[in-house]
This record gives sequence, structure tokens and C-alpha cells, in this order.
Amino acid sequence: SAGPRLRLEAALSFLLLFACAQALVPSHRLDARDLARLRAVLERPFTDVRAAFYSIVGLSSLGVRVADEKAACKFIKSHVDSSSVESLFYAAQAMQVLSGCEVTISNETRELLLAAVSEDSSVTQIFHAVGALSGFGLPLASQEALSALTARLSKEESVLATIQALETASYLSQQADLSSIVEEIEDLVARLDDLGGVYLQFEEGIETTALFVAAAYKLSDHVGTEPAIKEDQVIQLMNAIFSKKNFETLSEAFSIARAAGALSQNRFHLPVIIVPDGPAAVSHHQPLLRLQVTNVMSQLLTQVSVKLDQAKSVSSKATVLQQLPFTLSGDFFELNFMNVKPASGYYDFSISVDGDKRFIANKVELKVKVSTEVGITNVDLSTVDKDQSIAPKTTRVAYPAKAKGSFTADSHQNFALSFQLIDVNSGAELIPHQTFVRLHNQKTGQEVVFVAETDSKNVYKFELDTSERKTEFDSASGTYTLYLIIGDATLENPILWNVADVVITFPEEDAPSTVQSKNLFVPKPEIQHLFREPEKRPPTVVSNTFTALVLSPLLLLLILWIKIGANISNFSFAPSTIVFHLGHAAMLGLMYVYWTQLNMFQTLKYLAILGGITFLAGNRMLAQKAVKR
Amino acid sequence: AGRLKALDAFLLYVLLTGALQFGYCLGVGTFPFNSFLSGFISAVGSFILGVCLRIQINPQNKGEFQGISPERAFADFLFANTILHLVVINFVG
Repeated sequence: SAGPRLRLEAALSFLLLFACAQALVPSHRLDARDLARLRAVLERPFTDVRAAFYSIVGLSSLGVRVADEKAACKFIKSHVDSSSVESLFYAAQAMQVLSGCEVTISNETRELLLAAVSEDSSVTQIFHAVGALSGFGLPLASQEALSALTARLSKEESVLATIQALETASYLSQQADLSSIVEEIEDLVARLDDLGGVYLQFEEGIETTALFVAAAYKLSDHVGTEPAIKEDQVIQLMNAIFSKKNFETLSEAFSIARAAGALSQNRFHLPVIIVPDGPAAVSHHQPLLRLQVTNVMSQLLTQVSVKLDQAKSVSSKATVLQQLPFTLSGDFFELNFMNVKPASGYYDFSISVDGDKRFIANKVELKVKVSTEVGITNVDLSTVDKDQSIAPKTTRVAYPAKAKGSFTADSHQNFALSFQLIDVNSGAELIPHQTFVRLHNQKTGQEVVFVAETDSKNVYKFELDTSERKTEFDSASGTYTLYLIIGDATLENPILWNVADVVITFPEEDAPSTVQSKNLFVPKPEIQHLFREPEKRPPTVVSNTFTALVLSPLLLLLILWIKIGANISNFSFAPSTIVFHLGHAAMLGLMYVYWTQLNMFQTLKYLAILGGITFLAGNRMLAQKAVKR
Repeated sequence: AGRLKALDAFLLYVLLTGALQFGYCLGVGTFPFNSFLSGFISAVGSFILGVCLRIQINPQNKGEFQGISPERAFADFLFANTILHLVVINFVG
């Protein structure tokens, strides 16, 4: 029994290893345009103290100072409402960011704020009061605030309240035991919704998720404990928060700015983003692979070391390069990939960024394309006699010249083309994705395209046999221009080359009178719908005859009954008898009416009534008869 | 005895009717098939119920039908016929 268990554990650990190898990569970040949009929203003129708070603190999270700090300070002082804890919070926090903005707090204001820090206030009120007291630099009893907060938090379970509790704790002294609040981070992480393994967000929305990230890191930095958020979860949170590119409300812009600030500057987790310069492609003209390393706010990180762990060819899976560092040149990290003379195609690069223990998402996979130029060599055009009595006539053409004279293909001659494709830089043979031979009828505009294929020695061959190919050409004889089309994603010089003119002659009897251009978008012939024919009925005479015939046995029956002497004389006129017979007749009549007019439900209804009456009467009648007997 | 003869006459009538319907179907065609089936089953069903009635009211078989009086048999006959013809009329179309 130890054997299978061991195997299971080995399998599980292998799966885990595999899962780690497929680490999540950030799919969203704030690039320069997003930052500009964010700043534009945050730099709107203030409408009230709250807007001032959002703008000032939001911009400072992005590392931007407000344009006119003095005017901002004056605005806040004039618009703050000293009787509202919330307004005081906004003012205090904003003024803390502005340099040289001081205010003296009256005793009444101080008492108001201190009174708000109690179990009777909501979490939001406690948060605002504590934040205001901290922002104004006023003394605060951290232990009491903490107990009020904890008591209140056990009653209010909403996500927003918990996030506000996290921020409140970050204002309290470190002497107090904030561990119970710190544990809330883990609980909140459990409440996040995983969307497709790529995004992680609260069902309350992205604004709440962003506020959570900012609060979690603020508190973690304050207490010095790493937040209970795993690396993959941080990346998923990032993807969710920075996926929003339109910031409609100021509060939304504020939350995203704070999250961006938190993720680019905290003591524990720094997501890095590796951005290639343009498409990740190298060639002989451009042999350097250039990368930029930034944080989530697209700020360059240059005090890092970027290393290529390995580069593998996608097609052959061979490792081409290993353990090579990138060199820093200005803002970019560069690597000359063409030094190893790779064959053209795609390569998987595993790149890692080191330099700070806090880095996460610092190992990425990048697909790099190596392009090259193609050269066509050994191009031979020949006319091959079908009977093979005459030796083939071969003409060599060099790209990009056109062959002089024209070639013929008719009933006793085939036209053949052969060529080779090589990589101009390395001389190796190339097999591109597209190698087409296009024949274009100069008079009618028809074109037919064939694929040239390689033989065993990687020489491309194309042969035109008029008898085999006449359907593609619609048997239209004439002079055709021959083009060679070579293309591939990894070729820098796709080729469209007019090689020669070919005169193709098809046997006369197959030639169509006029060549119709195959226009696909003309109305098609109308389809006449054949409605279902009613079945053939026999002539009315026949039907009527048979109806009469079928009714004739009834006559026979009556005659027989009279002959046998059915005693109608025994008919007693007792009421039950009459009712019975009437009822029975009515039932028969109901059958007829059912046939012509009623449906089953109505019939059953009437039948129930009539049947009931008939049954009762019949019962009486038969009982009387039995008695008589 | 007269009763039995009258019943037999009825049975003969039903038989002939059924046979004629079948002959029509063979000769002219099955259109409309549901009507043919309806009529034919009416004939066959009535015949069977009639035979059942005949067996039940036959004095020779009195020993086997202790609990069922001829009146009761007749009532059963009528009831069964009602149900049969309800279905037949439903199906005749």
C-alpha cells in the first residue's frame, strides 16, 4: 500500500511543479496614456473638500504634486465644515500631503473628533475621526480606538467597513496589538471572486478592490508584516484593478491611483512588468532584443539585472541559448540574439528580473520572432514533351528578371518550373508557409493559383499539364502571366515575381464560348417551392357507392330483427325506461356532435352529465326487469 | 332464445359492415387512413363486445357467471361501447 501512495504524492508534486512553471503574468498595467487619463481626472478643479482630498491624495500616490499648493490649501481651509467628522477627515489628510499647509484646531473640533471614536459610531465614522486626528497631528488613545474599532467591526461585516478598519489601524500606534485587524486581510482575500484565473476582485467592484489593495499594503507596511496575499493573487488583483481604463468618477480614479501607488512602493511585493520595445522580433538589420522593465505605474526600473534563462526554438524544441545577461543601454535592456546565428522562426525566451527581494511576476515567457530574407536560386523553366521524344528545353532565370520569350503548354507539351529557396544570411534551405504559382490570363482577367511543393531534396517543383488542369482554367486558352509568390511570417522580403509568360492552349472542343466571370454576388436562380400535394382522392361516385353499400347491412339487420320477432311489445312506459332511452339516444347524438363540432374536453363534460343520467335510469330499469324476471 | 337470435343478427350486421369497410380499403385505397382505422376498429370492437355479451347472457353458461346477471352484462356492454365509440369518433377525423 505504500507504493501507490508514494506514486500519488509524486504525481501531485509533479503537478504542483507544473503549475508553478505556468506562473501568471500581468496582463494589465497603467501605461503612459492611462496615467495621463488618470491625472486628467484627478486634476479637475475642486468642487468640495472631498474632491480636494481625492485629487490631492490621489495625485500624491502617483508621485505628482498639485499644481498650486497654496490655492489648494486656501480652498480646503475655506470649505471645511468643522462640525462634520467626514469633512475634517478629508481636510486633515489633504493638508498633510500639501507642504506648508497648517491649521490650528479648536478645542471643540478636537472634542468632536475624540467623541466620534467610540463603539457607538459606525466603522466609517471611527475611520474618519482617527484619520482626522492623525492628519492634524492630535494625540489619540490608540488602545481605546482599537477596542472601539474591533467591537464595531464584529457588528459590521461589509467589505468596505473592513477595508476602512484596515486603514484606521494604520493610523494607530504600533504599540497597540493590531494583529486582529491584520488578520482581516486574509479574510478579505478569501472573499475575492476569481474570474477565469486571471482577475480577482470583489463583487462590490473595482473601486473597492483598489481600496483594499491600498489599505492592505498601508497596514502591512505600518506593522512590518508581509500581507497574506500570494504572488499569483497580487497579479490577479493587478489585472483587475488596471483593466479599467475609463475613470468616470473622482472616487474611482482616486482608488486606482492609490492602488497603483501602493503596488509600486511597499515593503513586500513589487510587481514588475517586462515590456519589449515594439514587437519582439529580431533580424539581421535589427539584431538586438530590447526590453524595458517597469513597475505598475510604468516607471522604469534600471537598478535591476535582467537575465535570459533560456531560449528554445518553438519548432525544434532545441535550446539555443542559456544563462545570458542583458546589457543596460540607456532605458533599455538589450541582448544581441543574432550572435548565435539562429535559424528563422519563433523562439520561447524565459527571462528573469532580479535585484530586489520584493519583486513578483519577475519571470516571464516571451515569444521572439527571428526574421530573415529569402533568396530564390536555381530557377529553371522548361517545356517537357509528353511523348518524351524531344529533350526538355530548360531556361534559367535569375530573380528579379523576367524570362525572355514565352513558353508553351498544350496537348503535347507540359510546362515545368523548379526552384530552390534559401536563407540569404545563412545559406540554409527554407520552407516558407506560402509558395504559390499564380497564372493570370491577360485577356479575360482569370487567375489560377497553384501551390508549389518540394521534393525529397527540398527543391520546389511545379508542372502544368493542360489535360489535367483544364477544369481550373475553364479551358480558356491564351497567354498567361506567371507569378511566383513567396511569403511567411518570418520573412522580411516577401516576393511577388513575374517570372515569365506562358501560352496555354486547350483542345478546341472544350473551350467555352464566352468566359463568364465568376461573380459570386449576383442573385441566384429562384427556388420554386413545391408544396405538398394533397393525396389523390377517389372519385365521389365511388365513395358514395361504398357509403351506401356500407349502410346496407343496417337494413339487413332491421329485417332480421323483425323476422326474429324482437318484442317491442314488452316496452314498458315507466319513467326510468323513457329516461334511459332518451339518455342513450342523447349520448349517441352527442357522438355525432362531437364528430362535427366539439373537442374531447367538452364532449367528456356532456358525456359525464348524460352518462350519469342514463346510468341511473338504466340501473333502475334493469333492476325492475330483473325483479320481473 | 329470441334474445340470442337478435344478438346474432346484430353480430352479423357488424361483421358485414366491417368486411365491407375492409374491402373498400383493399379496393380503392387507404385514404384517409385514420378514418378507415376508426371505422374498422369500431366494427371489430363492437363485434367483440357483442360476443362477450352473448357469452354472458347465454343461459347455458349461467354456471360460469354467477355474479353477473344478464342486465348487468347488458349495462357493461353499453358502457364499454360508449368508451369505444368515444375513441372511435375522436379518431375518425
